[in-house]
Amino acid sequence: MAVTSGYLGSEKAHTDHPEEEHDPRESLMYDPLPRGVMNDMVMESMHTTSWKFWVVLGILAFLVATCFFYAWGYMIAKGLGVAGVMRPSYWGVFLVNTVFWIGISHAGTFISAILRVMKAEFRRPFTRAAELMTTFGLIQAGASIFMHLGRVWLAYWMFPIPNERQLWPNFHSPLMWDLLAITTYVLGSTMYLFLPLIPDLAMARDRSTGWRKTFYRILALGFRGTEGEWRHLTTAMNIFAFAIIPVMFSVHTIVSWDFAMAMRPGWSSTVFGPYFVLGALHSGMGAVAVVLVIMRSTMKHMDYFIRKEHFDGLGKLMMVVSFAYAYFFFNDYIVQWYGGDRWTDTLLHWLEEGPMAWMFFQMVGFNIVIPFLTLWNKRVRTTPWLLAIIGLLINVGMYWERYIIVPVTLSINRMPFTWRLYEPRIEIFLTIGTFSMFLLFYMIASRLIPLIPVWEVQEGQMVHTLRKVGKAQVPTVSEFE
Amino acid sequence: MSDTTLLALFEDIDPAAEAIDKLHEMGVTDDRLNVISGIPITHKMLGRPHPWTNVSRLALGGAVAGFFFGLFLNFGTPYLYNVPVGGQYITPIPPGLIIVFEMTMLFALLSTFLGVFLDSFFPNYGPMEYVGQISDGKIGVFFKVPQEEQQQFSDAMNQMGAESVKPAEARQL
Repeated sequence: MAVTSGYLGSEKAHTDHPEEEHDPRESLMYDPLPRGVMNDMVMESMHTTSWKFWVVLGILAFLVATCFFYAWGYMIAKGLGVAGVMRPSYWGVFLVNTVFWIGISHAGTFISAILRVMKAEFRRPFTRAAELMTTFGLIQAGASIFMHLGRVWLAYWMFPIPNERQLWPNFHSPLMWDLLAITTYVLGSTMYLFLPLIPDLAMARDRSTGWRKTFYRILALGFRGTEGEWRHLTTAMNIFAFAIIPVMFSVHTIVSWDFAMAMRPGWSSTVFGPYFVLGALHSGMGAVAVVLVIMRSTMKHMDYFIRKEHFDGLGKLMMVVSFAYAYFFFNDYIVQWYGGDRWTDTLLHWLEEGPMAWMFFQMVGFNIVIPFLTLWNKRVRTTPWLLAIIGLLINVGMYWERYIIVPVTLSINRMPFTWRLYEPRIEIFLTIGTFSMFLLFYMIASRLIPLIPVWEVQEGQMVHTLRKVGKAQVPTVSEFE
Repeated sequence: MSDTTLLALFEDIDPAAEAIDKLHEMGVTDDRLNVISGIPITHKMLGRPHPWTNVSRLALGGAVAGFFFGLFLNFGTPYLYNVPVGGQYITPIPPGLIIVFEMTMLFALLSTFLGVFLDSFFPNYGPMEYVGQISDGKIGVFFKVPQEEQQQFSDAMNQMGAESVKPAEARQL
């Protein structure tokens, strides 16, 4: 039988390639613990907080109060004049933040939905951590759009309702597409976060007392785990997993059309849709790597659930996404460069040699060069702090990319007398505010919501078995559904 | 002759499935049986009838409703207050496809979500038969039997490997 070859574990194979020896039990799926023990571990990780946690929480709460609410209130009171947006860069950091946060939000859907559809088993312990990023990222994206509106109390003008003259919003405008797409994505991803959470909320309900019990009791909705409840839940999760993927693609494609539909140098591009989607995945995956490393190093028992294999899998995904991103970036660049349009040429030269050249080259370096140079190496991928640094750099690079696309590109247009470099003012505080709020929400959620979907981990451990083939223990996965 | 509901707790799927077979042999029909578990266990594993769900139908219904709502937004509302603009169609199709797509997906997702609530009778905070060990991975088999045959069924379940067999108690979840 062919399976008795050296690859499957003969002595010779072990001697020749010691680096390839891999104990399947290093993998979470082949290292099961009783469900009750895993439940206890997850509950303990939620209940354990050190003084450092509260100090960081306090600092973030202060930053949110000052940089988000106070600064935004000040801008509402004084008007958009306190921001740096003015001719020709009417779209400034607020739009950069919007695109950036929508990008971050793509990670949750990608990891949870696409990997679920593809039955990629390594996803199981960190789907929820990624889904939470989606929801909290979209909150920041929404807030950034409202900041950009200036007169935020008139936001309802975009709602699909007629005004007093029975005139409806113009659904032919990319901004209306944006509103509908982002609304669909916010609602869809929040529901998709909540559905698989219900069984874990029921688990937390069964193990809590006091206000926590009331909190989990309300959110668990009376879930018991009957055959019918599971059937309805898994059917809905399958529908969501398939349906949310095109929604995710549509959201960032439509965001890109806010730019690409305009006949401007640097914006009018037919590849902007997929280029934006890939960019979103790139920053989202990087952010997931950062969050997982922080979770693993700061929360109790997380080293059992989040292991090297997960960083390895995530690192491979980051590498593939980086390749794809590079492809689309070059595609967008070369067509514009070759086209010979005078204003596009001017813009490209300005990007490469002008005052923002440092940003352009950092973008290329962080998004393409560094992932290419590092992520092919398994040791890098399985070293959590290294992967976190790469993820962080990718996010810096992706933020610069959006900054270049929005205010920097707007600085150069077909009317040279209007050229002016954008300088953010109150936007800097508001940006700090959105980042602080995202982290604050995440920290609070980490103590209220089971970040590990324990039932999914247990289900995964039940379908993974070690099968003896010859002298080797071969990992096998069975179909459970 | 009154019925009582017994709860047999099992550690694994195999003994639970065999116990269900035994209950069938002893005359307990599927409508007098219910299984609760901490992970989704398929009906095939337990030899149980396929549980009915309306979630996918509701999702489809929502998608159809969303499709027509999208059509209304894009192709209906411009005619409610017609603003002709030179060189532009009142109801162009390509932007319409975007609106229709988003509304179709939004309504499909919303109705899927609501479908879980409707089919599962969520939220349901009233007293229900449940034990906390279920979320620890145990499998609970609830079955209704005549009160005078309670001992006979308890013994049978114990023989099949049940960790415990006791009358089910409704508790506040």
